[in-house]
Amino acid sequence: MIKIENLTIILQSFRIIDLCLAIDEGQFHFLLGPTGSGKTLILESIIGLRKPLKGRICVGDKEVQDLPPEQRQISYVPQDLALFPHLTVKENILFGIKARNLDWRLYEGHVQALIEAMRIDSLLDRYPANLSGGEKKRVALLRGLAPKPKLLILDEPLSGLDPSIKADIQHLLKNLHASFHPTTLCVTHDFEEAYFLGDEITVFIDGKVEQAGKKEEVFLKPASRKVAQFLGATNLYRAFVLAQDEQSQRWILGIDGARVSVPMYLCRNPLQVGMEVDLFIRPEEVMILRKGKPVKESLRKNVFEGKILDIMDRGRDYLTFFQTSKEKIPFEISIPSYAFRNLSLSTGQTVSIALREESLWIMR
Amino acid sequence: MSFRYTMLAAAGGLFLFYLGLLLSLLYFAGGTGFWEALTHPYTLFSIRLSLLAATLATLFAVAIGLPAAYALSRFEFRGKHLLDTFLEVPMIISPIALGAALLVFFNTPLGEAIQDKGFFFVFEIPGIILAQFATIAGLATRLMKASLDEISPRYEAVARSLGSTPWRAFYRITLPLASRGLIASVILSWAKAVGEFGATVTLAGAMPGKTETMPIAIFTALASANIDKAIVLILLLAVLGLVTLYGARLTGKRYRYD
Repeated sequence: MIKIENLTIILQSFRIIDLCLAIDEGQFHFLLGPTGSGKTLILESIIGLRKPLKGRICVGDKEVQDLPPEQRQISYVPQDLALFPHLTVKENILFGIKARNLDWRLYEGHVQALIEAMRIDSLLDRYPANLSGGEKKRVALLRGLAPKPKLLILDEPLSGLDPSIKADIQHLLKNLHASFHPTTLCVTHDFEEAYFLGDEITVFIDGKVEQAGKKEEVFLKPASRKVAQFLGATNLYRAFVLAQDEQSQRWILGIDGARVSVPMYLCRNPLQVGMEVDLFIRPEEVMILRKGKPVKESLRKNVFEGKILDIMDRGRDYLTFFQTSKEKIPFEISIPSYAFRNLSLSTGQTVSIALREESLWIMR
Repeated sequence: MSFRYTMLAAAGGLFLFYLGLLLSLLYFAGGTGFWEALTHPYTLFSIRLSLLAATLATLFAVAIGLPAAYALSRFEFRGKHLLDTFLEVPMIISPIALGAALLVFFNTPLGEAIQDKGFFFVFEIPGIILAQFATIAGLATRLMKASLDEISPRYEAVARSLGSTPWRAFYRITLPLASRGLIASVILSWAKAVGEFGATVTLAGAMPGKTETMPIAIFTALASANIDKAIVLILLLAVLGLVTLYGARLTGKRYRYD
């Protein structure tokens, strides 16, 4: 278990106050935040390269915040990898075991298994300059894992790779984690990456933890407008709580004159009539209704009529820009390509949309 | 004339200028006086003394300059910019002034105390080494700092996270990676020490067979109109300098960095 408590770093324009993180053993934990939010400063403090103003860092039962980096058992794989250019791949990999004077017999099997998992058997005698981008990443990961660290720290491990290599490394990381279970803290600004690989995600914006929890939770139930925006959410509306329907356990919200009915469980915080809230409507969960087809009972609560303003072909899906006729509220609707072909939509067309319950989330 | 040829002509002109200077020396070379001067005991002594003193001065300059260069390259500390500026003192004040300052120092109570303890510098060989050290230490530190600056501190960061102490990370990672630049810095400093005149002659004097290094011998030979000896020594200095500097260019393995 890795615990970081009240980590405070103030450097130039960066102010990171009382950051707390908890990483269970074997967990793949992501620290997710926009570029330039000070994530690397946090990593450097955890590794021991930078002294934070205050804070406790516990690796297992041991407090390490006052120990030098070499005594923390935290392996670091920086964004630029920093493979030692004057050492062969093999020497790079064994660097940590030699530096710690570890008994090679106890690590041989582990290192051999890693070499096989990473598919680098044939590269051992090469120098880093003669490796491809993907090979370098693999060697750097292996070098970090070889001495069995208590925590593996990865700084933007998938940045700067071609899409095909990126997918390869992403799968490799996933399989590696599944077979070796290293406790890992990974920093990135890419939510998709974090969602694919991570168990838990800590969203870090403007020097503060905005949300921490299981990845599905963060994705489906963002804690604030800031988090939702950072995750790339569109269809974010300022809304007022107009009424409470006790019988059906729903809130009635008003957005620019339109009324949206939302089940009470789709909000984390207690609400009151008159409160101002943020409503998030997931673009991929909005349905375009086909004329003449009966509408399911659960969808009838939130049906709007309006016009299609524009359609954007994004390859995997079509992004449709819709505006309600009466209140002129804009919606972005993502329609998978196969579904789009059946709907035969065109710009200027008048259609009705329905909001699935799964599409709604209220944030206070 | 095209842009490219203008620039190349300037480079070629500069090369011809220096080459012409050296070749003009050969006009007087080769006579019987020339060989006599070359094999004269005082000449041989000044060659030996120059090589020995410059090597020792360089060793001391590296012993102090390398850690200092590392500190300047990697750490933030109070007075860093002041120290950095002071490294240039030997370059901005004349070598004679530097030698005079050393001479004055050995006439202060502290300087006299040092000499009274048996460490003689004024008009002695240690004085030559000290004068050369004073001239090159700042330069050596500056050059070595530039070599260390080129090596990303991240290599050391990774080495330390893998369990290396700062010492081990330094000699296993930073030192080998910077070796090419460091060796070039050392050779350059050594060449400057071999050619040092002003500070050396001021502190150690110009006693043939005792404190007369090659540049000093050139000066005394010219002063006594011994052209043969002067030319022998100048050619020797030129060859020595060119060989070592060209060697510095070729040293070390070139690594491709990420």
